[in-house]
Amino acid sequence: MNAPLSPLIHLIDDDEAVRASLALLIGTIGLRVQAWSDPQAFLAGFDRQAIGAIVLDVRMPGISGLTVLDMLVAQGVDQPVIMLTGHGTVEMCRRAFKAGAAEFLEKPVDDEALLEALQNAVRQHVKSRERHQAGREARERYAQLSEREREVLGLIVAGLTNKEIGRALDLSPRTVETHRANLFAKLGAESLAQLIRQYAALVERQDGVP
Amino acid sequence: MRKPVRRFATGLAVWLAVSALGCVVLARDELRRLRDAFETDARIAHRLLSQRAVQHDAVLGTLALLQPAGTVERAEERLPSLYAQIIGVQRRDAGQVWPDPAMREAEAKSRAHKRAVLAHADLAAARYQLVLASEPASFAMQIDLRAAVPWSEWPMPPETSKVRLALEHQGQVLLLQPGRIGEGGWRFDFRKHLAADSQPFDVVASRQVSWSELPWGEMLAWVAAVGAAVAGLVALARQRAGRQRAEELLRLGQVGRLNALGELAAGMAHELNQPLTAVLANSQAAQRLLDEDPPDIGTARSAMAQAVQQGRRAADVVGRLRRAVERPDLSQQLTAVALQDAVRSVFYLLEPEFNRCAIAPSLAGPSASVNVRADPVAIEQIIYNLLTNAVHALEQVPVTERELVVGVASHDGIGELSVTDSGPGVPADVLPRLFEPFFSTREKGLGLGLSLCETLAQGMGGTLSAAHHRPRGAVFTLTLPLAST
Repeated sequence: MNAPLSPLIHLIDDDEAVRASLALLIGTIGLRVQAWSDPQAFLAGFDRQAIGAIVLDVRMPGISGLTVLDMLVAQGVDQPVIMLTGHGTVEMCRRAFKAGAAEFLEKPVDDEALLEALQNAVRQHVKSRERHQAGREARERYAQLSEREREVLGLIVAGLTNKEIGRALDLSPRTVETHRANLFAKLGAESLAQLIRQYAALVERQDGVP
Repeated sequence: MRKPVRRFATGLAVWLAVSALGCVVLARDELRRLRDAFETDARIAHRLLSQRAVQHDAVLGTLALLQPAGTVERAEERLPSLYAQIIGVQRRDAGQVWPDPAMREAEAKSRAHKRAVLAHADLAAARYQLVLASEPASFAMQIDLRAAVPWSEWPMPPETSKVRLALEHQGQVLLLQPGRIGEGGWRFDFRKHLAADSQPFDVVASRQVSWSELPWGEMLAWVAAVGAAVAGLVALARQRAGRQRAEELLRLGQVGRLNALGELAAGMAHELNQPLTAVLANSQAAQRLLDEDPPDIGTARSAMAQAVQQGRRAADVVGRLRRAVERPDLSQQLTAVALQDAVRSVFYLLEPEFNRCAIAPSLAGPSASVNVRADPVAIEQIIYNLLTNAVHALEQVPVTERELVVGVASHDGIGELSVTDSGPGVPADVLPRLFEPFFSTREKGLGLGLSLCETLAQGMGGTLSAAHHRPRGAVFTLTLPLAST
């Protein structure tokens, strides 16, 4: 991985000693760390596009970590959030997970636990971004299909042969064959299996075919 | 405070209402009784007077009937000596005429009605004359009404009775007894003809009951009794409210203490966790840096320096905390405390708890009080904690096997208090750690109770120890120096 693409960890804690030590620790496994002392400054200024994770202290003056978590979720931030607390209760833990925290760790935190949680979180974030990316590309290609091609695709996904599709749409098998070749090309599919894997969900969502 | 005022007003209203109602009932009862007595007396008087009137008729009738026998002359002359009320008897012999026209008229009427008839009546002078026509001679009898009244059988004392009684006839009035008729109050009246047609007098009785005759004594007693009852109820209600309030305060105090403790723990955790987090993170980062190839010694060294600094910070936090919660020196405020009294006071506090768990604690020891040098609050705190622990232990054994004995003794200048329970006892490995702070075998226990008790006991120059009890259970013993007498 080159430097700009290395995952970025945002660390929010009001205690300078804690910030510095945790940043040092996280840095030892090659992750970039951006430390914030003020949750408001973090919310206003952090890079939402970067791959990475957020480490958030629960107990901070002015604004609670749980409130920050709620705000992040409400703003659609997709970076996983790891909550840190010095005095965790079952209720607080329950609330954090319900609000969408990826992990809930107690201070003082062991390096193994924190670093493993961070690596998991980053992996999870990368995967979700990729899924998101793939989905977006599929949607863009699907949009290029003509009305007729979409109908044919729907019936292919439903498992019909060319002959059956022709009968269903009142087309000659030759015409069906042409549509089929076109849509394979437009969607960049190399096999029937790949076509169905990538587009079955889209077809069902768009056409309402059960 | 609105509630006590309202309770007082309600009490006052109830008192007034019930008092008034009771007084009306008492007064009406008394008036009915007085009326009954009056009517009875009046009827008796009427009957007695009627009997006399009938007697007069009978005497005249007898005279008229007996005249043919020829002994009449003497008989009629003897009558006044036989009957006090008969003043004289006159006779109109056959062929003669009464000289008095009124008597002549009366005789004619008597003949027509075939009974005696009133000829003269002077009620003011208490005199009247009866005429009975008969053959051959007619008789007239002069009667003194005052003498006719049978005072010996009279139902009331004529001089002092409050009943006014008179005879009336055509506007004439003969007052037989004056009674006492005043203004105001209640008036009873009675009027009835004498039961003899020949003597058409009305017996008129009246009775004035004055305000002063109402049963004031009884009414006053009633009002006082109701007042006492209402005051008692109000006091009871106030006492109950006070007790409730005290219980609430106690509960609030406990909750407040728990909250304060929770807050303290949370604050302490945060204050200590921050430096500890930094110490741990710095040390572990240093370890990782030293493990690298080549090791980054410069960064590791500064991380270790940070760790040291944060370790000092943690020590400072603990020091600050100790100074903040330091207790005042107990040995300064010791007084003589009777162990038995302290135990009884805590028994009282824990009574609901004992009842809930069906535990009957007993106090064993000398009847003379064992006085130790102690702080009264601290010693009750210790006993409270020991008994609460015992209750928790006893809850784990069947109800029939629950025994709790508090023993008090003194020897060699030492006062000793022991709490023995028949609970499951203390495991051998736990016994040596029992008084460590934050050590608890209970799920929700903070582990501070026994530690605090030991600190308090030592602060008062005493000791607190725990031991096994045979065959089962635990015994905790508190010793304190006896108070010098």
